[in-house]
Amino acid sequence: MDIVTWARTRSPWLIHFNAGACNACDIEVVAAITPRFDLERFGALLKGSPRHADVMVVTGSVSRQVRERLKRIYEQMPEPKFVVAVGACAISGGVFQQCYNVMEGVDKVIPVDAYIPGCSPKPEAILDGVVKLLKSAGY
Amino acid sequence: MIPPVLSSLIQVFIFPGFIFILSYAMFCEWVSRKFVARLQNRVGPLYTGWEGILQPLADSIKLLAKEDITPKAADKFVFALMPVAVFALPLTAIFLIPIQSLTNLWGYSPIVSFEGDLIIVLFLLSVIILSIFLAGWSSANRFGIIGATRAALQMLAYEIPLGIAMIGPAIFARSLSIGKIVEWQAQSMHNFLSAPNLMAIPVALLLAVGFIICTVCLLAELELRPFDSPEAETEIVHGWQVEYSGKKLGLLRLGHDVKLVLASALLTSLFLGGPIGPWPIPPVVWFLLKTAVCVLILSNASALFARLRIDQMLGGSWRYLAPLSILYIMAVQIIAGLM
Ligand code: SF4
Repeated sequence: MDIVTWARTRSPWLIHFNAGACNACDIEVVAAITPRFDLERFGALLKGSPRHADVMVVTGSVSRQVRERLKRIYEQMPEPKFVVAVGACAISGGVFQQCYNVMEGVDKVIPVDAYIPGCSPKPEAILDGVVKLLKSAGY
Repeated sequence: MIPPVLSSLIQVFIFPGFIFILSYAMFCEWVSRKFVARLQNRVGPLYTGWEGILQPLADSIKLLAKEDITPKAADKFVFALMPVAVFALPLTAIFLIPIQSLTNLWGYSPIVSFEGDLIIVLFLLSVIILSIFLAGWSSANRFGIIGATRAALQMLAYEIPLGIAMIGPAIFARSLSIGKIVEWQAQSMHNFLSAPNLMAIPVALLLAVGFIICTVCLLAELELRPFDSPEAETEIVHGWQVEYSGKKLGLLRLGHDVKLVLASALLTSLFLGGPIGPWPIPPVVWFLLKTAVCVLILSNASALFARLRIDQMLGGSWRYLAPLSILYIMAVQIIAGLM
């Protein structure tokens, strides 16, 4: 494994994007970075600016209103970048499926690298998903 | 004997210059992250090297290999130049601080030293403020500009008590050179141990007050927690660094680590006796130990406190610290005159 892959997989900085979630998924994402679960063990930090982030954690069923903003934030992130879709809504629309105003999934708008199912997924599941993403990237 | 050219090259680039300071800066970042994590009942970085000790290195390499985006509206030249300045200026200032001499195991001498280098360090600290302001301003982002003005406001306010408090030991030592101040501390410690006199007590108390003033001001200069309104994530995303990505962000982060080392090195050499300690241990070990203690003090403060409002932050400097530092310098004058 070359040194750049080594560094990349050991320092995934997250940005959290709420694309119309009911807020339960967001609370679980925030719970995953609390002292009890401590994502910083894997070198992950929560960043505010998309310019600093490597991994975008998207929750919610991408409403039509937020679609353009999601795309724009995604484009503001520097390459290489990854997207993790957290929760049933972000995967397929979940309980909001077939509503007139949702896109039914993050992957209809931007490419997604990892899906974490659940409504809402536990922090353990989010950690597991992030670590699996890192492993597939060569951890 | 190594030829003088080679030895000064080694001094500047390897030890105690560039490579030594960079690796120590990364080590300090790891220490402070681990320490803050333990205070918050976490474990901090764990899987990158032993106990996560390589975490800052991994962060830097990752940032160096990432895409580097320059916003369309930014002032391209200043935007590209300022991260280099933010990184290089504190490194230059560290060259003026005595750590270890290359030829003599028990000797210590800065890489460059002359009468008045304390003033140069103060000047470099002010130039760092200017480059931080320009870095935020040139990014042409509204959060960046707000962060830059906040940073300038805060650092200029705390620059004044910092400067005054740092002159205190210089008045006692009757010299503006950091090396001479260190020597004065060693000398007076030696004098006190061989013939204790009462005069040493007010001097020690005054130096302790100066140490506290300096620590608070350096927290503000470093934008650590009680003074982190320039990069308040909840209000202005990431303050003046918001548009930086890739190598430029990597340089800014390294610059911040080097600044942390500079701050603790200044505290060490002005108030804690610099690289001097009991005999069988070489100066560089004492220097590392004392600066590590200072890093722990700084990161402890940043883990304990919550962010101050802007008016509290400004009031803290102009209403309390600046008058306190003037009283302090008056007391220093009186005691130094009596000695
Ligand atoms: S998946 Fe469930 S918990 Fe998450 S946003 Fe959708 S409805 Fe809410």
